[in-house]
Amino acid sequence: MTIDFAFIFEALIEISKVLPLTLFMTVTPVILGILIGIIVAFVRIQQIKILAPMLNFYVSFFRGTPIIMHIMLVYFGIPIVVDVIAKALKIEYQSSSIPILFFVILALTLSAGAYASEIIRSGILSVPKGQLEAAYAVGLTFSQAMRRYILPQAFSKSIPNFTNVFIGFLHATSLAFFLSVKELTGVANIVASINLKFLEAFIAVGLIYWSVSAIVEWLAHRIEKRVTAYSKGGI
Amino acid sequence: MANDFDFTLIAKVLPILLQYLPVTLEILVFATFFGMLLGIVIAIPKLLHIPVLKQIITIYISFIRGTPILVQLFLVFYGIPALLKLVHIDVTRMDAMYFVIITYTLSNAASFAEIFRAAILTVDRGQMEAAYSVGLSGIQAFLRIVLPQAIRVAFPNMANTMINSLKDTSLAFSIGVMDMVGRGETLIASTTRALEIYLALSIVYFVIVMLLEKVLKLNERYLNRYMPKEAASS
Repeated sequence: MTIDFAFIFEALIEISKVLPLTLFMTVTPVILGILIGIIVAFVRIQQIKILAPMLNFYVSFFRGTPIIMHIMLVYFGIPIVVDVIAKALKIEYQSSSIPILFFVILALTLSAGAYASEIIRSGILSVPKGQLEAAYAVGLTFSQAMRRYILPQAFSKSIPNFTNVFIGFLHATSLAFFLSVKELTGVANIVASINLKFLEAFIAVGLIYWSVSAIVEWLAHRIEKRVTAYSKGGI
Repeated sequence: MANDFDFTLIAKVLPILLQYLPVTLEILVFATFFGMLLGIVIAIPKLLHIPVLKQIITIYISFIRGTPILVQLFLVFYGIPALLKLVHIDVTRMDAMYFVIITYTLSNAASFAEIFRAAILTVDRGQMEAAYSVGLSGIQAFLRIVLPQAIRVAFPNMANTMINSLKDTSLAFSIGVMDMVGRGETLIASTTRALEIYLALSIVYFVIVMLLEKVLKLNERYLNRYMPKEAASS
């Protein structure tokens, strides 16, 4: 067996057509995950009763189990819940009409929320307490101080971590292949099976993931340089 | 009816799944061990700035970090037989387990190489100079002075890599390895109860990840035993 380079190129074009779907499946969970993460991080930092232990469990469960398990649990679990609720409320709604993509995005969002909350928590805790006190001293309220001083600093410090999460979830979308979603890996498998050229198709999809990751890393590096320009250090 | 969620089934399948835990741990142990060895080997050219080799390794690490482990698994599964066919070795009948261990080794090696490199760079250059001044040779100075300090710095990141690797082993079933998830899939086929079995699998993974995390934390505390309290308590 020799490697068919022309086919790699062909597969590259064929597979990259679904790149927008993969990007959508990455960006949505990461953004929603960051929103969940902010809420979870605040509850855990403020140690709100009852809620904090529950969210502690949420974070450690999602960080302690493989992402494929989250996808499978959501995919098989949510329809049961939806059916029960629909029956109780006597609504004519079939859980089978929910698109598979929804389950994947929901699972990835829950997962991203757990990872993001840890990053935000460590980001907020890394901002010196004096910053908050200084904000109080000039008469800001807690939420003003958070929005204007603490969170911007916390986020700019967390950019490398968020980049890792983003790339991690870009890679996690490949797991949707197991639910036969037609994203990059799924299409690569289809292209491979049709032409019986598995190695070439997976080389092609590997190249696509690699270049997207490289571009994201480069962009993140530039953003980081911009937003941390205030703390150059030295004189 | 799909609605009657069966708790007893979880308890019933847990012992069956646990019989396959050694397979998962075997992948983890071999991949971590060989990954560390390979990681040390590929960290050296980057530390010593050996031209050509250094660039090749940089590309290798970037590729591993830039592609999903699932794609790497498929690449090794289809790529290694194709490569070995060029030298007329037929491995198409080889146990899928080997492909899995090779993939996770290659993947871990990239992470470990970066961790080792960063850790060695954190050790102050003066330490090496001090070692030379008391008459140690380069290798002695590295092994006795720099490496013990670097391991302490590297350990938390190594622990993270191991935990991620443990979670990644859940994908080994995709090329036909009979590990916990693989056994779970066959149980789903025979019981048609996917949710319960995935819950049981999640519980097993959660527990072993938590245990591994505990063990690694204890080790970390041991490595930090000579450090002043503030730095060690983090």
